[in-house]
Amino acid sequence: MPLPAKAFQRWLQGIAPDTSAADVCRVSGIKRTTLAQQMVRGKVAESTVVAISRAFGANPVAALSTFEAYNALAGPPTVPSVDELVSQISTTDLLRAVLARSATEPDGIPTGIPPLEPAPHGTSVKNWVDAIDDGELRHRVAAATGIAPQNYSAQLTANRLTPELALATAEAAGASPATGLVASGLITEIEAGWHPDARRAALNSMSDARLVALAGERLQALGRTLRRQEQDQEQTDMIWENLG
Amino acid sequence: MITTLQWVTFTVCAAVTIARLPSALRRQNRALFYVFALLTVAILLSIEAPYLAIDRALGGVNVANLLLRFIIFGAIFFVGVKITKGFGATREYGLLTGKPGIAALAICSAAVIVTFVMMDTRGSSAGLAQLSNQDDPHAALLEYYGAAGRLYPSYVSLILVPAMVRAVRSRLPWLVRLGAFLLCIGSVAIVLTLSFPFMPPELGYTQFIINYTAILCFVIGLAVIWFAKLHAARQRGKKSFTKK
Repeated sequence: MPLPAKAFQRWLQGIAPDTSAADVCRVSGIKRTTLAQQMVRGKVAESTVVAISRAFGANPVAALSTFEAYNALAGPPTVPSVDELVSQISTTDLLRAVLARSATEPDGIPTGIPPLEPAPHGTSVKNWVDAIDDGELRHRVAAATGIAPQNYSAQLTANRLTPELALATAEAAGASPATGLVASGLITEIEAGWHPDARRAALNSMSDARLVALAGERLQALGRTLRRQEQDQEQTDMIWENLG
Repeated sequence: MITTLQWVTFTVCAAVTIARLPSALRRQNRALFYVFALLTVAILLSIEAPYLAIDRALGGVNVANLLLRFIIFGAIFFVGVKITKGFGATREYGLLTGKPGIAALAICSAAVIVTFVMMDTRGSSAGLAQLSNQDDPHAALLEYYGAAGRLYPSYVSLILVPAMVRAVRSRLPWLVRLGAFLLCIGSVAIVLTLSFPFMPPELGYTQFIINYTAILCFVIGLAVIWFAKLHAARQRGKKSFTKK
């Protein structure tokens, strides 16, 4: 839900008093026309607030939490579950972990593992929702927000999630709201209050069986996506061949 | 107003045909070039001035109108074949090129020829408009002639509609779906031509609008799909330069 322009202006006054709109845009890297348009429409994008907070050294989560719609973000950061943390590790990194574990290391701590790719990854939205889904989550989100279930699923498949839906999803699942914003790429994991090694620790705490099973699930999902893409491509090529 | 519509349609169609010429010379999808060329000639033959000139050269017995019917049959047949093949509509392709399709084409062709021969067609007249003032048996024949001429295109269009609806709702590139949408509108318009005998004469101009909507939608729809191919090729070129 975009933020009301009035509340945004009040917040901007607090964070950057006596700074002209032009300077705010320059420092935060937002196009002046974009901001002007958002103000005129009375709907300021969450990403605008995030960019400005970063530019002025404030925490984006704390900044967002001052807006009524994002009050749920207020308070000390909640620690995400192991499943949630692992959901924000890319499939490539999971596979690397599988390979590293199967290599026999004398002291059990594999060496030379590259750091995890920062969240979000190619399927982080869907993986996050799957990690907190008890089987009925999609229905509850649809009921709470009024979004059509197929539109919600389409967003997840396209790895997109509006901040509003991210919060609604977290609420419906009883999960930490900031994690949804990490999964959709609005904020970084550090900004969400995670320990820099939180994902690595979660990964290491997984048993071999769980890790391999999860990596297998991810690979299967990836295979399905690729197969669908290839089918779409075949179909398009057929059209080009006959009608192009 | 109607003459303007006719010449605009002709210009659009001729422009697409000329634009298609280079790829036809490169032997790329010549059928598509022929379809555009046939449609251009068809429009020319439905405009008063060129029709009179051509028909008088052919003997002044409205053979040009008979020619027009078969040009339309040919164009719609090739369009149908290419579209059903391109969009992978196997069942529809079978209905066009299989026994029912050939039977429909044969019956309609025979009906058009027989009624034409039986009619007194002296005196060039675009759309055979002047002939309708004749006595009863000829007026009835003229109705049958017109109906037979509209039946085959409607048969093909009726087959195309469901295939195009499927394409519009698919995951194909949006330009292709836009093209399919236009083809769908064009097909519906052609099916609507079946209702012409039941229309009150005051609504004569709607017949013109339906006819030219159909042709314009087909030509522009096919052109959009062609453009989509060029667009996709350019995008692919861009990607491979920046990403690899």
